[in-house]
Parts: sequence; structure tokens; C-alpha cells
Amino acid sequence: MLEESSETSSPYASDPETPDFAFDPDDPWTQTFQEGLARADLKDKTVYEVGVGTGINVAFILQSCGAKRVYGSDLDPRLVVLAERNIKILSPEHAKHFKPVHGSVSLVDTDEAREKIAKTDVVIACIPQVGEPSDARLTAFREAQSIELAEGAGDEAEDHIAHYYPWSLFDQYPYNSVGLGLNEALMRRIREHAPKAELVMNFGCRIGTEIICECFEANGYKPEKIASKIVLQHSGTDISFFVSLEKALNGTEYEKQLVCKFYGDPEGKQPLSATKAQEMINDDPNVPLYHEVAVIRGTPV
Amino acid sequence: MQVSNTIDCNGLSPAPTLLRIMQALVGREDSTSPLNVLVGADCNCESLAVSLGPLAQDVQLASDAKQFAAVN
Repeated sequence: MLEESSETSSPYASDPETPDFAFDPDDPWTQTFQEGLARADLKDKTVYEVGVGTGINVAFILQSCGAKRVYGSDLDPRLVVLAERNIKILSPEHAKHFKPVHGSVSLVDTDEAREKIAKTDVVIACIPQVGEPSDARLTAFREAQSIELAEGAGDEAEDHIAHYYPWSLFDQYPYNSVGLGLNEALMRRIREHAPKAELVMNFGCRIGTEIICECFEANGYKPEKIASKIVLQHSGTDISFFVSLEKALNGTEYEKQLVCKFYGDPEGKQPLSATKAQEMINDDPNVPLYHEVAVIRGTPV
Repeated sequence: MQVSNTIDCNGLSPAPTLLRIMQALVGREDSTSPLNVLVGADCNCESLAVSLGPLAQDVQLASDAKQFAAVN
């Protein structure tokens, strides 16, 4: 296991613009991702970020990792425009090396995105791993396990699409069963359109890094964990999906093969199952709970 | 959304395979024919069927899609 990451201060003179519809760039997920990106050998490489968000990672890999060129797109078309503005603020001398793909781009599903992916050395992404709470089939599965959705979990915040994906639409991908359908869909697209490109992806590891690595291997990539951090889970985060997975396996011979990984301490020394974590939330909705965030590099095999 | 009558579990280890089958079964609108489940050649189908319990009767496991045609 890698040592935990340390906090890093901002290398920029100005702060990025961060409206409510963008993922918070100060979040520890971003810090962990950037630690992984710093170790990903991006110097002189052409990089494509799927889900460019505020553009904070693009600025980082141009300024601090020495990437030659960065392409970027997002499902939310406002974010690519925001990213362009932010990169000009954060790293004006590198802004000309950012080549955005405008419009709403799901994964890399436009001609322009595919054309740029074909010229890419490394694809980076931190995309949702939890199905939309309102998804009808996900709801049916949760209800079959007699698990309730947390209060307010069905409400759509401004940055909803940064956190959730339409689960049923990705059901053709086997690892959708554990919330990795969107990530697996991206892996398959990259294998098809940029078979020599590496993947560097940031994951919340509540289902465990082992099964995430299995997903890489099943899709033709050799996985390697290059950064890791135990982070505080946001208060109010709905974990019913993870509880449903554990409960569905209860009483089967596979129940010990998939136990979700939460922690009761910031050092990650007190592991908790999702079921136990949910019990603690039920007793005290503000109880601090932690989980691992890890950056996995996938090298095509 | 209607669930396909065949799901691909090839490459999945046993726990997520079992979960995927359970998720597919709760999402089915037409349950008159068995759910076809494509598994890897190394899958222990007997063990999987035991873990499925009564749900096993709604499922047809095979490592080759051609085997489904003989049943459905």
C-alpha cells in the first residue's frame, strides 16, 4: 500500500472560478488525483481529460507535469468554457496548449473527441461511480434488499452529474454491477480508439481496490496504484448502494469476497463494512466516516 | 428500461457475477423465459446456482452463447 498523500498548497497566484455546478477543486479527491498525475510520467505527453470540470487538472499537468498538449471535454458543456477561462487565469503561459472539445460530450462519444483520443498518449478521468439514486432499476434492486435511500439523496444538486451516472444505461458493462459501468465503458472506448494509450483514473475505493483492478484487467489493462489517500466522506453522502451490495450477498458463499471498505478513522486503521457504516450514520448522521481515494494507472497489455 | 434477456458476466469474479444476476432479475418485465447469463469458462456454475437459491430456476448459465439457443 502506498503511503498516504500529504496536503499540498496551491501553486497558483490566483484562485480558479468555481461555480456550484462544478466539482470543488479543493476537494481531497482532486488533491489525490494530482498526486497520481505527478507520478504518471506525463512529461512531453499528449493527454486527454475526460470530465475536465473546472480545468484545475489541466492547469496542473501543463504547469507541473510538463505535458505537451491537453485535450479536454465534459458532459456539462458549461464546464469546458469554464475550464478555458480558469486555465488562462491559473497558467496563462500554458493556456495555448489546452485544446478543448466543446459541447456536451459523454465519455468520448463525438467525432471530434474520438479524433483527438486517437492522438492521445494518456487518458485521465475521475468520473462517477454511483448510479443516480432515482434510477428505476437501481431503486428496484435497493428495495429488494429492503434498503432505504438516505433522506435528501434523491435531490439533485447543481453538480449532480459530477457525482452520479445513469446506471441502467450502462448495464451492458459487467462491472456496472458494482458501480463501475461508466468507468468500464470509458476503458472499452479507449481500447477501441487509442489502443496504445495509458489510462490514469481516480477512484473512490469504497468497493475496494481489488475489484477496481479486476475491472482494468478484464478490459485489457495492467493496473498499478500510484497514489492513495484516506479522505473524509462528505456528511450526508448516501451509501445505500454499497449496503445493498453487501446485503444481497449475505448468506451466500461469496459474502466475504465483497465487503465494502469504509473506515472509522483518518488513518484507515479501523475498517468498517458499508452495513456497519450505515448503522453508525443511522445513530448519528454527522458521524465522521472515511474511505480511500486511489489513482490507478492502467497500461494496455 | 427493459433488461436484455441475456447478460454478459464474462470476466467477472463470483461476487459481482451474483450481484449482476440479482440486479438483472429485479429489473425484468418479462419473466416468462429464463434469464440467459453468459459466464466465463472457469465459472463454478454449481456454486453460483447454490448462492442464487430459488432464483436459480429463473436463470440459464452458459459459457457459450450458442448453448442458449438450445433452451430458448
